[in-house]
Amino acid sequence: MSFLNSESPDVLQLFSSLGINVLHHPSLSNSSATQQASQLEVLGAGELPLDILVVEGAVLRGPAGTGMYDTRGRRPKKDIVAALARQARFVVAAGTCASFGGFGAQTEIEATGLQFNRAEPGGFLGADFRSGAGLPVINLSGCPCHPHVLAGTLTALVTGTELSLDQFNRPLSWYSMMVHQGCTRNEYHEYRVEEETFGEKGCLFFHMGCHGPLVTGPCNKLLWNQRSSKTRAGVPCFGCTSPDFPQNHPFFHTRNIEGIPLDLPNGINRAHYMVYKVMAAAAAPERLRQRRTEI
Amino acid sequence: MAVRKMLDIPVNRVEGDLELRLEVADGVVVDAWSTGTMFRGFERLLVGRGALDGLVVTPRICGICSTTHLMAAAKALDAVTGAVVPDNGVRLRNLALMVEHVQSDVRHGILMFLADYANPAYAHLPLHDEAVRRYAPLAGEAVVEAVRETKRIIEIIAMIGGQWPHSSFMVPGGLSYGPQVTELLQCRHVLDAYRAWYERRILGCSIERWMAVDSLAALDAWLEEAQAHRDSDVGFLLRFGRAAGLDKLGGGHGTFLSSGSLDLPAETAARGTGGHLIPAGFARGIAVEAFDPAAISEHVAASWYAGQDGGRHPSEGETEPYASGEEGRRYSWVKAARYRGGPAETGPLAERVVAGDPLFTDLLARQGANALARELARLTRPATLLPTMAVWLSEVVASGGRDVYVNPGPVTDGEGCGMIQAARGSLGHWVTVRQGRIERYQIITPTGWNGSPRDSGGVRGPWEEALIGTPVADADNPVEVGHVIRSFDPCLVCSVHTVRKGRTMGRARLEA
Repeated sequence: MSFLNSESPDVLQLFSSLGINVLHHPSLSNSSATQQASQLEVLGAGELPLDILVVEGAVLRGPAGTGMYDTRGRRPKKDIVAALARQARFVVAAGTCASFGGFGAQTEIEATGLQFNRAEPGGFLGADFRSGAGLPVINLSGCPCHPHVLAGTLTALVTGTELSLDQFNRPLSWYSMMVHQGCTRNEYHEYRVEEETFGEKGCLFFHMGCHGPLVTGPCNKLLWNQRSSKTRAGVPCFGCTSPDFPQNHPFFHTRNIEGIPLDLPNGINRAHYMVYKVMAAAAAPERLRQRRTEI
Repeated sequence: MAVRKMLDIPVNRVEGDLELRLEVADGVVVDAWSTGTMFRGFERLLVGRGALDGLVVTPRICGICSTTHLMAAAKALDAVTGAVVPDNGVRLRNLALMVEHVQSDVRHGILMFLADYANPAYAHLPLHDEAVRRYAPLAGEAVVEAVRETKRIIEIIAMIGGQWPHSSFMVPGGLSYGPQVTELLQCRHVLDAYRAWYERRILGCSIERWMAVDSLAALDAWLEEAQAHRDSDVGFLLRFGRAAGLDKLGGGHGTFLSSGSLDLPAETAARGTGGHLIPAGFARGIAVEAFDPAAISEHVAASWYAGQDGGRHPSEGETEPYASGEEGRRYSWVKAARYRGGPAETGPLAERVVAGDPLFTDLLARQGANALARELARLTRPATLLPTMAVWLSEVVASGGRDVYVNPGPVTDGEGCGMIQAARGSLGHWVTVRQGRIERYQIITPTGWNGSPRDSGGVRGPWEEALIGTPVADADNPVEVGHVIRSFDPCLVCSVHTVRKGRTMGRARLEA
């Protein structure tokens, strides 16, 4: 549903300009169950080329590895995913559940991502899996995956443009920047002017559980629905692009040691950070202390 | 002797995974079992998490009703904390929820329901070519427009709450942050543009003209009145739907539930009933009575859950997956939601019946519930919401836009319930918090009502019942079944807790 919000091009323009023939989409296709079943057969047998397989949602292996928590025609859906993945030139995992397992990982439903289980390589298809084009599963994490990231990835694949991937097989274009880059609260972050309750101006990192400086993603660059982002609207980033999403400790709360967050921006030395933030807070200009600077 | 056979039908173009088992005799459905095919266990996942975590987790149950789950979760926590949300907080929460509804109604109508009009099964109908031109998946003219316009209206949610779907901007006490008044002025442009498009294409007339349609006779007169009415999506829904006999499909139990929704701010020009813009009530036929939340129960007799026989109130409900050997009796992990022990359908049609809307009251009195009336109620619901959205937006602007949050203090101990109307009908969240952690979380979704399996008394769920009597002309392409099911706008992703073990029930699967 988030993908339907893609802009310039929208989803339909994207498909037509790239010449993508959508063989099946569960919410949009008009084919009957019988037609779908025979199409699955033909695809699984390799008689109809499958250029791109986009999987949304985790692969459910429970209970006890059977996959019967998620079936189609009383057949585990994981078998369909395996059959199609074998034939596809490219396999794309759309969203954190398909990439890393997400909410159902480490639970009774035994959910896993296609090629990772949380941060652990392997997942459903195995660490060595390569699609027809010789690539691993391309992971587009996020809950949801940003529509422009999916549209951009499809465009790159169709046009033969190379995408460099990070350690979790996510395109660096979108996953090598921090979520908080571009947040309109950056001034408050810089000088450690903190929000301690909802409805205020201030940075959400120090008390409200914001992961903006901790995880990568293009939220504050691309923006959502062409307009805004959660952090701009006073909602902490929950780190939904991370293989470890969702965290086990409570949301909306920053774990602290001596008033400094337990989880620090990637690669930072704690002692240096503490000194830097004490000095930054001391240097905070009056317009920020008085919360006069708009967000 | 009647030819009886069993059909197993996976239903697509619904949200989530739904399979039907139908018993068909002489080409007509004589019995039906509805099964979701996926167990997700979101409620169990919440137990032990932080008190506020429902605000983050439950919107992610569903990509369509994300804001709706957020509203229910926030209202449940308002109740736990005793928070009193300031008027602007109420208005902006409502506005965001209504935006989600008016986009969902149009997306469902055009992309999911009307797409069936382009089905080859209707190639013999004179209107079929036009249906294909309008509603062919991914290509029809109306599809292209609906994708474009529904995307734009959602920008309002992003301006209020950061993003759609899956933001968590509603918190106990109000909103996480108030938009600037200049952003609200932008919202107004977006809202005005959507309304203008909705009137031009979906209704073919002004909202005022549509709202004057107050009976079946007036509906016929409206269709006669202007070419623009006939050419609109509502006009086409009716003309084609009647030609295809959709007004004679999908009756059901004839009981309707609305839990009430969209709290009125303390001061507002908007008018409502019982403190809600969308009134609460229960109706048998068109006889409406007051709604009592304590009369809700959930049965698991036919569901894959361990638990009691008979019903249990959701504040005491459990969600314990239980793949027992009772293969013949249990067939769905959608629980069976019941009101005063009986099934009830919920959704836009139920809302209109409970509200005493003259058009739908007359339609029901003359025709009974049917698939066409259900979809008509859905596709025209934005006409009932868009004017009030403009009122509330203006009121927030006039009061400067801020004052959206009052801190209710930490969420430590207590119980709370958030009941609202989702796009698809009644939604309830019940939460118990102990020492800052979630002790219990239960959710009843609209599809938990509409798509419920049999209860302890063996009574079918609403759409199981609605399928009885549906003709199946072509078992390989049972388009009539699709109409009935999609008229309820199923959302299985919210509702299923289903595991399906391989079994036969002694019935043959019909192979293509």
